[in-house]
Amino acid sequence: MRASINRPPTPDADEDPQQELTLQEIINIKLIESGEKEKLKELLRERLIECGWRDEMKALCRAFTRKKGRNNVTVDDLVHVITPKGRASVPDSVKAELLQRIRAFLVSAAI
Amino acid sequence: MSSKNHHHPKPCSHLASYRSAHAPNPFRSLQSCLHIRPPGHASLRHDPSEIPNCAVCSSTSPRLYACLACATVSCWAPSLPHHAAAHASSLPSGHEIAIDIHRAELFCCACGDQVYDCDFDAVVVLSQTAAAYGSQQAALPENLRKRRKVNYQPWAPDSREQALIGRGSSLLREDSLPRGLRGLNNLGNTCFMNSVLQALLHTPPLRNYFLSDRHNRYACQQKNGRKGSGNDGKNLPPRLCLACDMDVIFSAVFSGDRTPYSPAKFLYSWWQHAANLASYEQQDAHEFFISVLDGIHEKVEQDQCKLQNQGNGDRCIAHRVFSGTLRSDLTCTVCGFTSTTYDPCVDISLDLEPSQGTLKTTSTRSHACNGETESVMSSQGCGISTLMGCLDRFTRPEKLGSDQKFLCKHCRVEQETLKQMSIRKLPLVSCFHIKRFEHSSTRNMTRKVDRYLQFPFSLDMSPYLSSSILRSRFGNRIFAFDGEESDTTTEPSSQFELFAVVTHTGQADMHPDTDIWKHDGNWRKVKRRCN
Repeated sequence: MRASINRPPTPDADEDPQQELTLQEIINIKLIESGEKEKLKELLRERLIECGWRDEMKALCRAFTRKKGRNNVTVDDLVHVITPKGRASVPDSVKAELLQRIRAFLVSAAI
Repeated sequence: MSSKNHHHPKPCSHLASYRSAHAPNPFRSLQSCLHIRPPGHASLRHDPSEIPNCAVCSSTSPRLYACLACATVSCWAPSLPHHAAAHASSLPSGHEIAIDIHRAELFCCACGDQVYDCDFDAVVVLSQTAAAYGSQQAALPENLRKRRKVNYQPWAPDSREQALIGRGSSLLREDSLPRGLRGLNNLGNTCFMNSVLQALLHTPPLRNYFLSDRHNRYACQQKNGRKGSGNDGKNLPPRLCLACDMDVIFSAVFSGDRTPYSPAKFLYSWWQHAANLASYEQQDAHEFFISVLDGIHEKVEQDQCKLQNQGNGDRCIAHRVFSGTLRSDLTCTVCGFTSTTYDPCVDISLDLEPSQGTLKTTSTRSHACNGETESVMSSQGCGISTLMGCLDRFTRPEKLGSDQKFLCKHCRVEQETLKQMSIRKLPLVSCFHIKRFEHSSTRNMTRKVDRYLQFPFSLDMSPYLSSSILRSRFGNRIFAFDGEESDTTTEPSSQFELFAVVTHTGQADMHPDTDIWKHDGNWRKVKRRCN
């Protein structure tokens, strides 16, 4: 196991110098660089656990796995099944709070 | 192997060949690459300024996997093509196993699914415990090291005692009602005492202890010590022994006499013990319970030569039956350092869940008790509070407010902390106290929270044990060893059967007035009236 695992491979410098970066990508990069994405993830995790969302998702996964049989389920299957239900059941208060945080960040990062 | 719930999944062929190619320590080198974020989430370490992205398409949004053999990062998109799979198939064998960058989970790119390995999880757990406890080996806290095991041993008469029983006793008259069913008179707002007493009378270990003469009120040293010194001519006030008074009540209640009994002597003794609660006013049943246990403990212990740490109570029946240990973990949110304390307890006080309640679906475990499997279906936002929900809330990690910062030994600064409770050792008899009285400081009044609480006949306490809580905090890794909790094989079962409920109907200033308890397999409800 080489130590180079610590570093992602250097992208080829001669391809796509600057033009391919969409606004979404720029924001994403800014979020990660400043460490804000990590904080937002932690906040989101905390809120979703508090309101019971994670436990509901766990229950859905268990029910699905039990139905299909433990050895016939892959991670992809679970993700595919859970994602629409998960997205729909996030409480509005959590969405609002995170949006507020992101907005505040964008204002302060002056994009 | 003490793990009951984990069936180790078989490795896929690619994982097996990877393991044999890199034996004996296939994942050892990963330890330096792991980064643990408090409270224990493991991920792959990367330079903060560099953003991991797929080598082929530079995307960062789907799951990213780093090949264990050559450290190439590829993505695994929900839809084809899967660049990670392409990476595995394009190169000669040996590049199938990868690790999820953000979650530190093993993945087989050829099989397209997560794989699990004991050695890998051991490496992750090692990193997590190193982060949580600092570099030194976690030493058991002071108050646990000297503690002896408080074990309940059921008693059976030996041959000499059998003979004594045969000679000195006569059979009670059998009637249709079960034994031990006897009403208690209200001595003036003493419903709180009567309801708790009824529950204690039917606590099997306690009942067996007193009925088998383990505490003999005639031979009690507590009182006899005083009788001996009466010869000096001193007039000592009679020493009281709550255990003797309990013995009197047990004998009276199980004597077969069905007329209501007045526990006046017991009440008087208890008043002397808990002087601040002595009055004809209504008291709190829970306070009474704690005070009685304390009284029995104190009195029994006074004739011991050595006083042990509080809560050890080796010889005290109250502790042998009711005493358990709670574990409290305080985790610094910045560095992950965790400080653990163990506290003895005789009961667990639970908050009622908020009404937009979280519901749990209890999964059917492989060792269901009595062949019953519990499944409480969850429906979103339906909000029936259950006992399991309250226990979940009790053991949930709670972020303490920013006004309650603790000094972190690692960081040497006051940091925000995460607090989590769990149960280190279960008592023989678990007593749950549901906090139904809310005190509002603004209005200076106490309000009763009247929400319905659902509770089961059988309760499996294993998800609330420290071993389970720790396991889930570390992300459900396979534990090849259990560390300091390794004596789980000798622990008694964590399945509990309900046998008594003390309830309280009415407003905050009213009396506890209903008792429901189990007797010989049947449930009896006793309603109290206060005159």
